[in-house]
Amino acid sequence: MNRRKAANRMKPAAVAPAAAPARRDRRAALRAWREQHLYSLFSSLGRLAARPGATALTLAVLSLTLAFPLLFWLLLDNARQLGGRLDDAAAISVFLKPDLPASESEALAERLRARADVAAVAIRTPEQGLDEFRSRAGLGDALKVLHYNPLPTVLLVRPRATAANGESELVEALRREPRVDLVQYDLAWRRRLNAILALAERGAEVLAALLAAAALLVIGNTVRLDIQGRSEEIAVMQLLGADNGFVRRPFLYTGLWYGTFAGGLCVMLIGIVEWALAAPLAQLAASYDQRIEVHGLPVAGMLGVLGLGAALGWLGAWLATSRHIALGQPR
Amino acid sequence: MIRFEHVSKRYGPRHDALVDLSFAIDAGEMAFITGHSGAGKSTLLKLVALLERPTRGQVLVNGQNLNQVRRRGVPRVRRGIGMVFQDHRLLLDRSVFDNVALPLVIAGVPREEIARRVRAALDKVGLLGREAEAPATLSTGEQQRVGIARAIVAKPPLLIADEPTGNLDPQLSAEIMQLFGEFQQVGTTVLIASHDLALIKRMGKRVLVLDHGRLIDDYRPHATG
Ligand SMILES: Nc1ncnc2c1ncn2[C@@H]1O[C@H](COP(=O)(O)OP(=O)(O)O)[C@@H](O)[C@H]1O
Ligand SMILES: [Mg+2]
Repeated sequence: MNRRKAANRMKPAAVAPAAAPARRDRRAALRAWREQHLYSLFSSLGRLAARPGATALTLAVLSLTLAFPLLFWLLLDNARQLGGRLDDAAAISVFLKPDLPASESEALAERLRARADVAAVAIRTPEQGLDEFRSRAGLGDALKVLHYNPLPTVLLVRPRATAANGESELVEALRREPRVDLVQYDLAWRRRLNAILALAERGAEVLAALLAAAALLVIGNTVRLDIQGRSEEIAVMQLLGADNGFVRRPFLYTGLWYGTFAGGLCVMLIGIVEWALAAPLAQLAASYDQRIEVHGLPVAGMLGVLGLGAALGWLGAWLATSRHIALGQPR
Repeated sequence: MIRFEHVSKRYGPRHDALVDLSFAIDAGEMAFITGHSGAGKSTLLKLVALLERPTRGQVLVNGQNLNQVRRRGVPRVRRGIGMVFQDHRLLLDRSVFDNVALPLVIAGVPREEIARRVRAALDKVGLLGREAEAPATLSTGEQQRVGIARAIVAKPPLLIADEPTGNLDPQLSAEIMQLFGEFQQVGTTVLIASHDLALIKRMGKRVLVLDHGRLIDDYRPHATG
């Protein structure tokens, strides 16, 4: 009773006595802080579990929102390999007239190497060409029936990457060469593919940004509804001396849970999609002689998705609470 | 403990709820505020709890000038005040225990200590052993007791109550008032707004009478009964 009277003359009783050592004060404060966070962490989780239907729906929307740009990005990442072997493709294949002596092929290659717009010239003799053909499954037997080598000498001319019109000039010059049978040049197509991929990549970025905004809105709106549904509780807590941080905390954790769970669901969704596409993709890869390698979301990416979800959840809840709780506070 | 210095409160452009109010209530004192409906009783209590700000003058609580308390400081002031409301304002989706524990949770009291102090508070209002029940299953009088337990659980030096017996029959009202008297006896300053004159008279405590926002009387009746 005496202690109560003593406390009366001081600041509110909730404040620790001034005589207490500062270190113990800090420890107590840290402990209080931890208690409050744990309380918010679990009470918000309990609240999500208390409305399984609404929670599941929100999570489904959120995880799809996250999964969509990610799947798109994965697709692009894999597609980039198609245009990725630009080294091969960039080379202009120059098929020389058949039965041209090796010395003349050498001389032509040497002449071409001297050009300013040529970076390198490689010669593929008919024998090398034949070996390459044989190494491909099934073709070896077909070639056995031939008694002579039908393949011409091929010069692989790699242009120097300079002016845009330089290459067409080079191609023209090659075509005019009397010893040249055929010039095969598909760089334009490669370029177009790369341009399309770059465009799609930018599109994926824009899409990701838009859908991230959508995820923020979904979480923000869910938290806003939650705040409205608990306005009486918030008012009572504020009457009892809860500061904005305390009132806000469970909602921030709600957002965090939503985001993290949605991230987890999104990883699972992607896993399911990868699994469903695995067989047809393997076939596609086989048709490319395994020169492309299908890759899914790496573990770091999965963790990244979880982190991204958590961050979006927290941010969405933060936006909603700063807008709706501050307004509810009576000065 | 509480000091009003020339306090006026005006709602809107010209609706005077309190006019030039000056009085002081000592630490450990128990006082009633009475007056007709609309006299300004609730407004006076709201100024003490920083639910409203005075238009003019200053309010001091515990030596602290509330005019100097900024927004961020408001929660700390409120944590030093136990508040009881006519409609109890309990959270109906939580147990009696959780309701009473709320001020301690807000203050960051460790869990074991919360359990101990909640039981002590429930014991004081005669509801020990009812902690697991839902407030909605309690009688009106019991609900008000839970509200009081919540107000005193953090041991605030000041207890304010706005029409705490407004919804109760005379018998229950007397019991609740008795309870407030007990808290005063252990050193808490108690300030109660009520228009139940008969009950106030029986308590034999100081009475401040408001009329249209003005303090028209300040007296101490002799306790009867
Ligand atoms: N938030 C408010 N806005 C405008 N007028 C108010 C508000 N609160 C109270 N009043 C007015 O102030 C006066 C005093 O109200 P109140 O303090 O509630 O009186 P009491 O509690 O004694 O009945 C009344 O005339 C009431 O209409
Ligand atoms: Mg009133």
